Amino acid sequence: MAYHLSIFVENKPGKLESITKILAEQGINIYGIYIASAGEFGVVKIIADRLAEAYQLLKDEGFTVSKRKVSIVLLPDRPGEMHKLLTLLARHQINLDDCYGFVLEAKSQAALVLEAEKHSLLEEVLQANHYQLLSEAKLSKG
Amino acid sequence: MSMYWDEAMERAEAGGLREYQLHLLRATLARAKNSPFYRRLALDQIESLAAFQAEVPFTRKQDLREHFPYGFLATDRKQVVRLHSSSGTTGNPTVIFHTKNDIEEWTNLVARCMYMIGTRPGDVFQNTMGYGLFTGGLGFHYGAEAIGALTIPIGPGNSKRQIWFMQNFGTSVVHILPSYALRLYTHFEELKIDPKSLNLRIFIIGSEPHSEAMRRQIEELFGVKAYNSYGLSEVCGPGVGFECLEQDGIHLWEDHFLVEIIDPETGEVLPPGEEGELVLTTLKREAVPLLRYRTGDLTRILPGKCPCGRTHVRIDRIKGRADDMLIINGVNLFPIQIEKTLLGIPGVGKNYLIEIRKENYMDKLYIKAEVDQAIFEGTLAGLTQLQNRIADELRAELSVNPVVQLCEPGSLPVWEGKAKRVNDLRNSE
Repeated sequence: MAYHLSIFVENKPGKLESITKILAEQGINIYGIYIASAGEFGVVKIIADRLAEAYQLLKDEGFTVSKRKVSIVLLPDRPGEMHKLLTLLARHQINLDDCYGFVLEAKSQAALVLEAEKHSLLEEVLQANHYQLLSEAKLSKG
Repeated sequence: MSMYWDEAMERAEAGGLREYQLHLLRATLARAKNSPFYRRLALDQIESLAAFQAEVPFTRKQDLREHFPYGFLATDRKQVVRLHSSSGTTGNPTVIFHTKNDIEEWTNLVARCMYMIGTRPGDVFQNTMGYGLFTGGLGFHYGAEAIGALTIPIGPGNSKRQIWFMQNFGTSVVHILPSYALRLYTHFEELKIDPKSLNLRIFIIGSEPHSEAMRRQIEELFGVKAYNSYGLSEVCGPGVGFECLEQDGIHLWEDHFLVEIIDPETGEVLPPGEEGELVLTTLKREAVPLLRYRTGDLTRILPGKCPCGRTHVRIDRIKGRADDMLIINGVNLFPIQIEKTLLGIPGVGKNYLIEIRKENYMDKLYIKAEVDQAIFEGTLAGLTQLQNRIADELRAELSVNPVVQLCEPGSLPVWEGKAKRVNDLRNSE
């Protein structure tokens, strides 16, 4: 089981910086970040270690933030791997709301963050096909 | 041909007019007694204007709302042939009923106004104001037809089509929102048509405050004479008052309305010339007679006789509002309607801000609403849904298309004491 943070922000200069500042000061490591924008506002998705702590910090600072369930899939960092995975999901009619990746070790291991409304089906399909998932605990250990 | 629609009445000498008013007032008081709202007053003992002012309290818009729907109806419901209504449903809209005679009298008043500024049989009248519940559409429509003008009920918007009708049918008289007139001119420019080359002669401008400079600008751009129209749906609609050819003050028709100017704070009746809130008593209305109705409009009675020969009192251009009513492109609305709508939508936070700007000559309503942190579930789709829902519900309530901006909680200013949630930037930009 893993989560990412979803933060509502107005699309203005300095908004992202105000988030990263809070996390940086507490030594929280950001693995991946993704912005979905609807023009004047958007939602920032963040995957980091010590996620529960990051969530509480941002909430305390007055941010509109929520935790959302995601699957973090470990993939070999080489051409074609992501395509293979997405083909599998398409075959099972799994629609992705969010999808972004980060590299864990260059040329060796990458991670793909997937958010889907059919979260349990997603995890089922991934496990049945022997994909390795990263849990929140593992992320926090780094 | 005479320059008056009803010369005897328009030029009635002052003494006779006062006597006629008192006669009409007594009849109005007798009718008003039939309405649930006025029944409680001892109206039958009032014999003079002084007694009327001393005994009868003001009627407020709030009273109309609180006694929705039939609290002010003074006739049998079966005699009512039409209703007009303000926008909105929160806190009850203002609904005004009309009998057949009310419509006839109103039509006659609008015809008198339009005739006064030169509208004649054979003129082509293009009414670009909204039809429907808004009185500016049907009110002028009936008046123009009564004169015998060819009336084009085109309604608002679609500038190219407006110009097409003006060109093809030789429109000579136009009823138009002053801000829309300026916007329409930019479309003439785009089409490379000089409005002065058309048959345009008279513009009737009203429904929103505008300056003398703006009137002159409209007159120059279109090569027309533009006249200020005054009215409010509570006492009929347009036709309550109008500028004559002198363009120096708005004549209020005293054979239909008893005019008072009061201090909006104390309610004290002010002497002629002093600025205050306009208070009207209807003298001929049957379905909904209103006694000492506070219009909310700030103005003053102009001194002296008008060279046009009409004896009816003149008021100055409306200076503003005694209450917090906003006029957005001619549509009247109250901030409370916005507040009630926002508070009824889950996901909207506690704080909001109303901003009004001028964009391309037209008013634009911006609503900045904070998102409720507690129910944020973290999706962009959820936020755009919220944004659309706010816009839809406000549009339904206000009959105005707002731009909704979602804001982070705590990002909008917080006030100590009375919040200043309306930021009107129309004159400062």
